[in-house]
Parts: sequence; structure tokens; C-alpha cells
Amino acid sequence: MIEAQTIEAQGLSKHFGSVAAVTDLSFAVRPGHVTGFLGPNGAGKTTTMRLILGLDTPTSGRALVGGRPYRDIVRPLRQVGALLDAGAVHPGRTAFTHLWSIAKSNGLGRARVTEMLQLTGLEAVAHRRLRGFSLGMKQRLGIATALLGDPAVLMFDEPVNGLDTEGIRWLRQLFKTLAAEGRTILVSSHLMSEMALTADHLIIIGRGRLIADTPADMLIDASTHRDVLVRSPRAAELRTLLASRGAQVADEPDGALAVSGSTAPAIGDLAAAHGIAVHELTPRHASLEQAYLELTSDSTEFRAPKEALA
Amino acid sequence: MNVVAAEWIKLRGVRSTYWTLLIAAGTAIGLSIVLAYAFATPQPKAGQTPPDPLLAGFASLEYAVLAVGVLGALTVTSEYSTGLIRTTLAAVPHRGALLAAKAAVVAAVTLVIGELAAWVSFFADQAILNGHHRGVSLSQPGVAGAVLADGLLLCVCALLGLGLGALIRHTAGAVAAVAGVMYLPALLQALPAPWSDRFSRFTLITAAEQVTRHQPSLTEFAPAISLVVLLAWPAAALAAAAVVLTRRDA
Repeated sequence: MIEAQTIEAQGLSKHFGSVAAVTDLSFAVRPGHVTGFLGPNGAGKTTTMRLILGLDTPTSGRALVGGRPYRDIVRPLRQVGALLDAGAVHPGRTAFTHLWSIAKSNGLGRARVTEMLQLTGLEAVAHRRLRGFSLGMKQRLGIATALLGDPAVLMFDEPVNGLDTEGIRWLRQLFKTLAAEGRTILVSSHLMSEMALTADHLIIIGRGRLIADTPADMLIDASTHRDVLVRSPRAAELRTLLASRGAQVADEPDGALAVSGSTAPAIGDLAAAHGIAVHELTPRHASLEQAYLELTSDSTEFRAPKEALA
Repeated sequence: MNVVAAEWIKLRGVRSTYWTLLIAAGTAIGLSIVLAYAFATPQPKAGQTPPDPLLAGFASLEYAVLAVGVLGALTVTSEYSTGLIRTTLAAVPHRGALLAAKAAVVAAVTLVIGELAAWVSFFADQAILNGHHRGVSLSQPGVAGAVLADGLLLCVCALLGLGLGALIRHTAGAVAAVAGVMYLPALLQALPAPWSDRFSRFTLITAAEQVTRHQPSLTEFAPAISLVVLLAWPAAALAAAAVVLTRRDA
């Protein structure tokens, strides 16, 4: 079993000149879970990860891994693995040499390099120069790099970019396996649809500020987008009744009613009391995607103006 | 030591290393032979002193110093241009240690190649010059030291390139800066008479020329002081690089 370690941000801020990339960010990433790190493009996800890795110095606050600043860790790859930018490799080196140089700097041997190339399915291309690698292959190489030191903490910045469907499924499974081993996994994405399938905890930021730090299922419950789909042959009568009881009723394109401000049992009872047949009564939750869009709609940095969309 | 070994793996893993070293050694040896023939054949006119017998070994390093300067710069700038520096610094957060490891590997490789080129050039040049009774032998005072200094010059220029590369972070800019340092004596010629010489003795190339001569010039610094000037250039570049690298965001 892996020794449990957390990632902590404590009042973390980073300003580039007059631009605040990250502002007073505090959160803790716990072991044993896949934590999704979500936010629109430009929200500060990559900056936050760079601060955690000690690549950038925070303007104020601090980031700790296993209770220590990253730069104080000796041979950090044995404790923390990270994939920031899969394309950041020297095109003239082979996959093996690339991994071996990184492994060697932390006292890890060639055997571990070979093992990681096998795990990521790259052993056949191990001695090819990286200039010929596709984005998906580089992504796998980046994952091999992150896993080199068998670390308790793992961070991945947009890891599914460039992977094919099979690769994405493999990665999802890998994240879940790694989390089940007691590791701390932080995965960033700007796509909630991806995180919905992978993460069981979510940290959401927008414009550099924390918006939500919540279990994934709680986010859906908190959403305002909840209603009940009702189908009835006497829809018009039912609509009048519901409206008189204070519920909001909207029409679905196929003639069904979307009722909010009431519950499925209350609607069923009301219909029965008036002898109205009901063919369908379905409580609807917002998808995680809708809940996410609701939360971040105010904090999207680059958005097409409404006129432009019309 | 792990970090030094890692940098050694990196340096061996790219073709540019072999190309720059091949160009450095090839041009150094080839040009010195051409120059030795050129210096050996004409009979000096009355009252004219013949060229220093070790000049061919030094003057032939003109292209080699740039080639190893590029090699030194690339060890850092290629990491910045590809973004690999972030992976490297995540693996080795102690930036001073990283710079020291890069410097150690570059210094070792260029010192070996530099000395190899210097000694091959020396024996070839003196064989040619001896045919015209102008050569010197290794047993004469100052000769061995001067040839060792020829080899050291490549190491010095590679470390200068490394330091400037870490400061500037762009290959083209770093190479231009290395070339600028090399051509400083020529630029200083534009200054009025006493000043050009007063500044010139502090330049890397003038200092290198002084420590690689058989008969040191009497108008320049003594060879021991020139050696300090020569070593101060890469030392200053690396010290500045260490400070900046530690403070700057990656």
C-alpha cells in the first residue's frame, strides 16, 4: 500500500504583472480519490499545478505536497509524478533515452524505464526518436514519466488530449486503479463530460478563484436545474392545475410538460385526485455538465459574445 | 552524482552534440595544419619576426570556439525551446545543482575534445614547422602549458555558452552573445589608441592568445593574469546564470 500524502494549496496567489492568474486559492487533494481539477480555459489550472511543482514562485500563499514545499523534496519523482505538457520533449532523443535521463536524475534504474514503457504500450517504439511520435504517443510517454518513481501523488494536466477512444478508456481505468492503491490523483480538464466519468471529487476554479470543492454527486444535487417530465393525454388541464398550485410549467417540444417547483409524488397525487391519467412521470437531474456550466458561466475568460453566436 | 549522470545521458542522446564536437575538433586540427604550412613557407624579410611557433594551434580555434559555444548554449536553450526544462526542474528542483551538473558534463566533454585537438594540432604543426627549422619542442619552457591552454579554451567557451544560454534562454540569442564575446577585440579596435589596448587585454580572446603563445606579448597582462581573465568569463556567466535560474519562474 502507498503512504498517503495530500496536495494542499494555502491562500495561493500568482500575479503576472497586473494579471492575476490565481487568487487566494485554498484546497486539499486527498489520497484514495481521483480529484478532477476543472475550469474554463485560462482559469488558472496550469498555473496552479506549476506552483505546486515549484516551477513558479507564488506571489503569496504556499503549496505543499505531503506537508512540504515541492522544492524541499529530495528526489521528488519518488513522491510526486506530474504530466504538464506531453509535447515538451527533445525531438532528437529516443523515448528510452528521454525516460532514462529523467529516471537517472532521481536514482532510478533502467529496469524501471523498461517497465514503464511496457505499461504504457511504448516498448515497440522505445528506441525511436521522439520527433516521429504522435500526440497520443507523447501523451503515453508523459504518463510513463509521471509514473517512473512509483509516486504517492500524481498530477495530470489535460491528459486525454490527443488520445484515441481506447487510450482514454485505458487512462480512466489507470486513474481509478492508482487511486484505489491509495494514491492522490489530481487531473485537470476543461471538459466536465470527461471528468464525470473519471473523478469522484471536483475542485472547480474560474478566473483564478475557487468556485467549488465538492464530491461530484453533491454538485448535481446543488444544481438549480431539476424538474419533472410529465406526459398526460390531458396535458392542458394538468398544466392549469399545476400552475394554480404554484409550479412552473414549460412545454417540451414533443408535447410533454417540464414541471419545476414541485415533486413527482405531488404531481402524481394531484393528477390522481382529479382523475387525470399520467403516462410518464420522470424526475430529472441536471447532468454534471449542466451543473458545471451553471457554476462557471460567470467566470469564462474567453467567450464568444452573444451577437456573434446568433 | 545522479544529476550529473542524467545530464550525461541527455548530452549523449542528441545528434547536435556529435556534430558540434566533430566540427570543433575537425576545424581546429585541419586549420592548424593549413596555417602551419602558411607560416612555415615564406622566408621572413629582414627585420621582421616570424609568427609565434604556437600561433597556428591557437588561431585555428576560431571556428571551434563557436561550435563548442553552441554546444554549451544548446544544453540549456534546447530545454527551454522544447519545454523540457519544466520536466527537468520537476525532477531536480535544486536549480543550482542542475546548472552545476550541466556545467560539469559540458566541461568534461569539451576539455577532452579540446585537449585532443590541441595536442594533435601541436604535433602536426611542429612537424611541419620543423621541416623549415622553425618548430619548438615540448621540452622548451612554456610550450606544454601553452598547448594545454589551447585545449582549455574550448572548455572555457563551452561553459560561456552554457552560462549565456541559461541567462538568455533562446538558442539564437545565446549564440549571438557568444559570438559577440569572441569578436570583442575586433570591436575594441574602433576605440582611440590607448583605450583599445587597455580594454582589449580584458577580453576572452586576447587573454587566450596571451596564454597560448610561446613568447608572450610584453604589452599585455602577464600569462598568469591572462589565465585568470580567461577563466573569469565563464565563471561570471555561470554565476549570473545560477542567480537568475534560481529566482526566475521556469
